[in-house]
Formats: sequence, C-alpha cells, structure tokens
Amino acid sequence: MELYVPILVLAALSAGFAAVNLLIAAVAGPKRYNRAKLEAYECGIEPTPQPVGGGRFPIKYYLTAMLFIVFDIEIIFLYPWAASFDRLGIFGLVEMVLFIVTVLVAYVYIWRRGGLEWD
Amino acid sequence: MSLLASAVLAAPAPTPDIPAPTIEYGLLSPMLLVFGIAVVGVLVEAFVPRAHRAAVQMPITLLGLAGAFILTIVVATQDITPASGQGWGKLAAMGSIGIDRPTLFIQGTILILALVSTFMIAERRTDEGSFTAQAAATPGSAAEREGLLAGATHTEVYPLVMFAVGGMLLFPASGDLITMFVALEVLSLPLYLLCGLARRRRLLSQEAAVKYFLLGAFSSGFFLFGAALLYGYAGSVQLGAIARAVRLGPGGQYATEVYGASGQFAQVTVGSNALLMLGVALLAVGLLFKLGAVPFQSWKPDVYQGAPTPITALMASCTLVAAFGALFRVFYVAFDGLTWEWRPMMWLIAILTMVVGAVVAVTQTDVKRLLAYSSIAHAGFILTGMIAADAAGLSSALFYLAAYGFTTIGAFAIVTLVRDAGGEAGHLSRWAGLGKRSPVIAGAFAFFLLAFAGIPLTSGFIGKFAVFQAAIAGGATPLVVVGVLSSAVAAFFYVRIIVLMFFSDPAPDGPAVVVPSVFTSAAVALGVAATLVLGVLPQSVLDLADQAASSLFVR
Amino acid sequence: MSTHVLAAEDLSGFGTDPWWLIVIKVLFIFVFLVLSVLLTMWAERRILGRMQLRLGPNRHGPFGLLQGLADGLKLGVKEDLVPKNVDKWVYILAPAAASAPAFISFAIMPFGPQVSIFGHQTHLQLTDLPVAVLLVLAMASMGVYGFVLAGWASGSPFALLGGLRSSAQVISYEIAMALTFVAVFLYAGTLSTSGIVDAQERLWFAVVLIPSFLIYMVTMVGETNRIPFDLPEGEGELVGGYHTEYSSMKFAMFFLAEYVNMSTVCGLSVTLFLGGWRAPAPISTIWPDANTGWWPMLWFIAKFAMVMFIFIWLRAAMPRVRYDQLMKLGWKVLIPVSIVWIIVVATMRALRNAEATTTTWLVVVGAGLAAALVALYLWDRAAEKRREAKETAKEQEFATLKAKPTAGGFPVPPLRAAHYGSAVRDALEAPRPERGTSAKEVTGA
Repeated sequence: MELYVPILVLAALSAGFAAVNLLIAAVAGPKRYNRAKLEAYECGIEPTPQPVGGGRFPIKYYLTAMLFIVFDIEIIFLYPWAASFDRLGIFGLVEMVLFIVTVLVAYVYIWRRGGLEWD
Repeated sequence: MSLLASAVLAAPAPTPDIPAPTIEYGLLSPMLLVFGIAVVGVLVEAFVPRAHRAAVQMPITLLGLAGAFILTIVVATQDITPASGQGWGKLAAMGSIGIDRPTLFIQGTILILALVSTFMIAERRTDEGSFTAQAAATPGSAAEREGLLAGATHTEVYPLVMFAVGGMLLFPASGDLITMFVALEVLSLPLYLLCGLARRRRLLSQEAAVKYFLLGAFSSGFFLFGAALLYGYAGSVQLGAIARAVRLGPGGQYATEVYGASGQFAQVTVGSNALLMLGVALLAVGLLFKLGAVPFQSWKPDVYQGAPTPITALMASCTLVAAFGALFRVFYVAFDGLTWEWRPMMWLIAILTMVVGAVVAVTQTDVKRLLAYSSIAHAGFILTGMIAADAAGLSSALFYLAAYGFTTIGAFAIVTLVRDAGGEAGHLSRWAGLGKRSPVIAGAFAFFLLAFAGIPLTSGFIGKFAVFQAAIAGGATPLVVVGVLSSAVAAFFYVRIIVLMFFSDPAPDGPAVVVPSVFTSAAVALGVAATLVLGVLPQSVLDLADQAASSLFVR
Repeated sequence: MSTHVLAAEDLSGFGTDPWWLIVIKVLFIFVFLVLSVLLTMWAERRILGRMQLRLGPNRHGPFGLLQGLADGLKLGVKEDLVPKNVDKWVYILAPAAASAPAFISFAIMPFGPQVSIFGHQTHLQLTDLPVAVLLVLAMASMGVYGFVLAGWASGSPFALLGGLRSSAQVISYEIAMALTFVAVFLYAGTLSTSGIVDAQERLWFAVVLIPSFLIYMVTMVGETNRIPFDLPEGEGELVGGYHTEYSSMKFAMFFLAEYVNMSTVCGLSVTLFLGGWRAPAPISTIWPDANTGWWPMLWFIAKFAMVMFIFIWLRAAMPRVRYDQLMKLGWKVLIPVSIVWIIVVATMRALRNAEATTTTWLVVVGAGLAAALVALYLWDRAAEKRREAKETAKEQEFATLKAKPTAGGFPVPPLRAAHYGSAVRDALEAPRPERGTSAKEVTGA
C-alpha cells in the first residue's frame, strides 16, 4: 500500500491544479454578454438544433468500443503471462498461442465482414 | 542479472517453476470438439462465399454434434476410478470439470437433442428457413427488404448454436463455480442473439432477445453474488471444497494446496452460516432462472414466443437439460450436507412451478406460449424428483429430461409447419380442424400433447411415474399429490387442443401445412418414435439412467 | 496467488520515503511536467519556424523562451464562455477529467538510480508498482473520458464528432500500443518500470525488439492525437474538435493535457525501449560513473528531448491522414503485426529457455518462414482477385452510366452536359434525343 501513497499525493495535486484552473477561468476573465457568443459555433451559420440528451452518432463508434473491449481483455491476459513467461515453460507458450489464435479467428471474421471499414 | 543479458551471454536458462496444469484431453474431447467446430464455423463465415455458407455449415455442425456424441460414448465405456476409489468418474482439468456417469448421460442427451434441433435449423423449405436475412436491419426498412429479396439468411446461426451447445455441455460438468459461471455465459450469450433472429415478426423477436438478455444478465448477477458469498463461506469455489466446509460447519478449518507453489498449504477457516444460506439462495436463483422455475419464469413465454421456433426447441430441450444438470450437480455435490435446509425451499418452488405452469397455461391462446407454460410445469415435475436428493431422484429426472426433450422438439417442429400468410399460425383458433385437413401432422401433434399430459403408452407417463415414485420414496407424498392434480389441470388444456384440432370445422382461410424437407420430417419422426419407444419399452433407457445415476456425481 | 506470480521484481527500495521526500518528488514531477509543456510549446514553434524558413516566437524573454508562459497568462484573462446548449456540469468538469489523469502517469517514470537526498537513500522515481506500466495505460484511458465528455456536453455537432473521433482513435491505438509492451515484459520478466530499466543494462529493447519499438513510435503519435494523426481536431473539417466550444483556461487545460500526454509517451518510450536513465553506449563505456548519482537524470532528459523532437519533426514533415486511413492503419496493420510479432518473440524465447538444439531451431524457423510465405501468397492472390473485381465493377458502372445516366437510382447528370465544359462541342453537335428522356427520368425518380 505504501507504494500507492505517492500516487495519491500526485493525484491530489493534479486534481487541485485542475480545480484552481477552473476557478481562474471563472474569475479572471471579463464577462461581456452577447447572444451570438452563447450559440454553438458552426463557422458562422445558424447552429444545428440539438436534440435533448445529445445527438445521434454513427454506430461505427460503438463497434469500435466493443472491439476495444475484446482486445483489451486479451491484452490483460497477455501481461501476466509475459511477465512470468520464463517460469511457465513450453506449456505457457502453447496455451497462449492457442488463446491468441482463437481471438484472431474472431478478428478475421470481423475483418472479412467489413467491421473494420470506415467509409 | 538481467534476463536480456543472459540471453546475449547464453547463460543457463531459467527453470520453469510454475507447474503446468494437467488437462485430460480425452475426457474433455466431446466439449473440445464442439467448441472446435464452433470456431471452424466462424472461419467458414469469414471465408466461404455467401451462397455456399449454409451448405458448408450444416454438415460440419451435424457431424460435429454426432462426433461429440460418439466421443461421449467412448468416454463412458472407459474404466475411470475417482480418487476416492468408489464409483466412476474423475475431476478433470485440475478439478474444474467433473466427468462422471450422470454428466455423460446429460451431455449425451444434450448432444442428441441438439442434433435434432439442428435438423429444424437446417430446414429451408418453410419460408427460406426460420432466420432473418439481416438481423441488423430495422424491421420493415428497405435494407431488410433488400436482404429478403437477395435470399440472404444468417448462417452465423450454426456456430452460435455450437457455442451454446458447448456451454451447455460444460455447464453441468463444472467442478467449480467459476467454470460454471463461464459455462453459463457461454451458453446464454449465443442464445440471446439467436432469439433475435426470427424471420417473421421481427419486433416480437427483438423484444424477446432484449428481455431474455436483461433478465438473463440479472440472473447471472445473482449467480455471481451467490458464488462470492459461498467463497466467503468455504474459502473455495470448488464444489467439493464447499461440501467439505458444509460438513465442517462454521469455524472449522481445513488446509488447501496453493496452486503454483508446490507443497505450500493455506489454512482456511469456514465462515458463518449466514454467508452459506444467502449464498445457496442466490446461487439457486441463478440456476432456477435458466430452467424457468416459478417465480423466475416470467421470461419464458415471451422468449419462447418471440424466438425462431428451432431455437425455441433448442432452448426448451437442451438448455433445460443443461440447467437441470447444473442444478443437480450443485445441490447433490456442494450442498449434499444441507439437504434439510434446501428441501423446504425446493418444495415451495416445485409446487409453485407445477401449479402456476399448469393453471396459467389454461388461459393461453398462442401455441408457442402454451408450450412455454407447459415447459414451466414440466420443470416443476422434474423438481419433485430432485426433492428426493438420492440416486433414484437423479435417475428419474435424467429419464424425464431425455423423454421430454424429444417430445418438445417434435411439438415445436410441427409448429413450424402449420403456416399462413403471416408465417407460423400461432393463434390456437387457427389450428381448428387441422385434423381434417392434415391428419398426419395433427395426429403427431396430438400424440405429443398426450405425452405432455402423461397418458400411458407415452414417454411422458413413464417419466412422470418415475419422478413421482422417487418423490414418494423420498418422503414427499404431498408434493406428488399436487403434481398429480396439476397434471390433471394440464391434461385439460392438452385435450382441449386435441378436441379443437379433430372435432371442429376448419376455418375457410385456415393455415396450410407445409410439406417439409427431410430435416423437419426427421425431427418430427424422431420425436414420435422416441415418445412411443420410451413409453412402451422404456426399460433400457431407464436402466441406463439408473446406471448413470447410481454412482452419483464425482466430488 | 497473483502476487506470488508477479513477485519476480524487487520493489523493496520503494514505499519507504518519508513524507517530506514524497512531497519533494511530487512537486518535482509537477514542475518538470509544467516546464516541459512550456518548453515543448516554445521548442515546437521555434523548430517549426526553422523548418519552414521563418523565425518563430522570439519576443518574450531570451530567444522567446517565455512565449509559452505568456500564452498561458493570456488565456487566463480571456472570457470564460459557457454556451447555452451545454450540459453544464459535465462541460465544466471535462477539462479537469482530461488534464488531471495525465499527470499521474509520470509517478512511475524512473529518472535515475538510487541517490542520497538529505542523507536519505532513495530512488529518483516517485514510486514503482508491480503493475507500473498498467497504471500508465489506465490513466491514458481515464483521459479519454475528458475528451468524449467534452464533446458530448458541448451540444454541438462538431464537438460531438471530435470527441467521438478522438476517443475511437485513442482506444484503437491504445491496443496496438499495449501489444507492443508485451514483448518488453516478455524480455524484462516484470511490469515494474525500474525492473524494465534494469533489464536493459546491456542492450536497449529498442535494438532487441525493433518491430515493437517502431510500432510503439507510430502508436504514441496516434495515442496523443498529434499530426499526422490529429484528426479529432482537424481544423479543416471539425473546427477544433472536442474543444470547439471551450475558451479561456478550460481550453488551456485541454492543451495542457495534450502536451502532458506527449511527455508521458515520450518518457515511456525512453523507459521501455531506450534504456531508461542509462547513458548511451559510448558514454558509459568510456566513463564508468555515468550511470551513478545524479548524472542519469541528464541522460533521461536528453533522450526524452530527443523523442519529443521527433514529434515536432513529424509535425513539420507530415500531412494529415484521412480518418479511414488512420483506422485502417491501426486495426489492419499495427494490431495484427503486433500480435504476430508477440508470437514470434515468445516462440524464440521459449526455444532458448528450453535450450533447443540447432535442428529444432531450424525446423521451427523454417516452418514459420514457410507459413509466412504461404500466407503471403494467399494474401497476394486474394488482393489480385479483389483488384480485378474492383476494376471490372468500375468499368461496368462506367459503361452503365454512360449508356443511361439515371441507372442505379441516382440522378446523375449526363456525362456530356453543356455546363461540364463541353459546351462548345455539344453546341456543334446535333441535339441528342436521349438527353430529353433522361431528364424526364430524373424528374420521375
């Protein structure tokens, strides 16, 4: 636990710094009301009306997020394996290659079905 | 000394000191084959052109299931003695998977039933098959119409079914709660997807998928909470270790070997009884949800109705078998010493399940919903067998599950055949007079309904007789009385449908019966044959179930 | 039991600092990062200026060194706008969520070996963990929240798309980046940064694991949204991306977060691949004391500055890529190459650990090469087929469109319309009857 205390101190400092910055932003600058300034900036044209709760966005991003989770979990399996690779012997290699190949099968499927295309 | 330097200087290599786990590939071969075929199926989806996918997927799926069944028989004919020296079986894969006779019986049943369900999945003559062309397309949109016109269909169904079946094989074989949870998810997630793939009535199908997913996720959460509490109690998730902790009682101590550090033992102190009781209850919720026992049945009618009918058949047969298998293993192995504590709870659930299933079924007007409630009632009957908590109860339940599985697949296969312009003719009023139009199909359906009702000379009678006999021997006579009464209620609505089919006039615009290809015909024929044979000459299967159950689960 | 597996590294030198030493180190890291941001901004503009044959900022202080500070002060006294469409609390907190985690990663960066500070033996490193590198990845992921929430809360389509692009890009490149670390851990046998630096005593991992290092260099640019991968704020299409609606110090904090993230990935590249605080080869050979005392901090900062220079150099030299190219590079090149490389490294290491004979080596390497050749051949054939199919499709489409401009449902203008520059020729030719019919079809469709 002692190992983590300095991280907490640094986190507190950076959070405090962020808070001070936000405060400076709120206090130091001038305030000159202007209706146009409070509109969303869209290069000078009338801003697009935004639906309540945010606009819709392409489903591609959702797919990317799901793929990220799949691969992130693969990576989390890889790290302890890599760190103790020398102590696992050949068995560790065979098992992990099997695991990677299984994930690659899913990856190949996604690729072939156009899940990685952006157009 | 850095490892890199040793690489450069070719110093002696470090010795691997984390022992490799032993894995009995032979014993696990049925599951490995099914999962392997599933992975191959994904590759087929990736590389085979769309037009040929179904033609490639279907044979490898069928061959995979048949091969896994043969491997199961091969494993069952081997001579395997557990560490305790009594009985038959072995804890494989470092104790994560228990291979024993009841498990092999369950796995064999699942594989055969999955094979028959796959026949229905492979049927292309009813409406180009039961599965949608483009699951991602909005119902009624141009994209969907385009997919339908192109004659597309989701052949991903085959690998998904294989993954689900693999999970079902692993679920009742799990030797610890973590493996069991993984198996639960592996069997559930593909089913959630499959439920949303119906070709007709897309919105209903999607609704079914979402409902099943949300409720299933809840029940998985309950299962995990229960597993966590049991770990807090026993200091282990191994079913055998939990049983040992139950015998020791709170405050008892036992030593467990630390994996990866040979010769090191950790001392474990058993926790309080509150953890145990809550853990048992939460774990039971997770398991009972999957088999649709009341009060965790609410998903079943909606999901059975919305899912593509072949998938409904798969869920009604294979998932039920797998869920019961897991329930039996947990309660027979881990909570063996707790029978007096869990029995009252199971009494209540069995009674509720039988009564609610039978009574609510009377009010149903949709065939698939009706079969769903019937499935709930049957889960209740099987639970009465479990109350006995001995080999006879297990044996009768095993027989019941096998018999019921064939009958229910046959019944759902007939549901896919009776069609009108909107797809399957779901509403019961549309079935009026079917016996006059298509006596063979109506006759087969009537036969299945009689088996559900438990009329003699059908497998349903033998199954009910066996579980009730086991329950009486186990001292649950009042439960059997409730069971017989709810059977009578159930018989009422089964007979009502038979009367409707044979003794009322057919509607002028009534549904047509599609002439099926060899696949659905085989499913129906196998259903009829199994129902008849198990009803007239049940002894060999009863013996097999007895033999399987006699050695109980391996610890 | 997981600690048992990961207990290979010796972290006994950490976690023993008295509180005042912790405070000193924390303040040092903070000041180091803020200074590095200010100096990087200055250096970036000066170097860009040189490379573009102009001067760059030279008014504030000697050589314009105080330019960054002046910019910061100016932003501080600008009006702090909160547009009316925003989700107020999320909008205000997003800059903090982006900048605060950025600092934390540096806690595990080793600046040097053990030294004595006021009589106290301590490492020139705030702390070290058995999972130190994981902390960096975790904090990088936390920073994404700032971007995506800023984009979402701004209530503007530009900001929303910018935030989404940014998060999609960062998580995509994070996978490839995290995969490159696997090879490093494989060789170092630990995830702790001090252990990794120790493992590079004789040879840098940048040399041993060249593919990993090169992939890392690409991903670190993508991870920090820098040119050529600065799509999220591509001003040509999205104004400013997720920070379009931000002004004053809030905007400055996104700026700060970006530059601190750059510092982090630079520091990580030095630690994981470039030998950490160890002096580069000729220096350590002729001067044995180069790796003791306070000197290593100099080597660390020198290497750090060098990698930072590469960032700036890239910005001067490269155009911005298209978003689909960016994602294609990340998902279809970097990730598969990383995974295959991991398998290769692991196999080689396992063979060495098992003290394999020369025959085994030859067999394995031969099999690997054969498999690679077969894969390459299949790939090439498939690519050829695809190319041909594409060509045919294109020609067919062209032929159909030439014959009938409305084919395919799109009201495509006829290829020889007058206003397409062929007016003179068309005027000379006789009026063609099919143009009239096609116009009718357009209105009909």
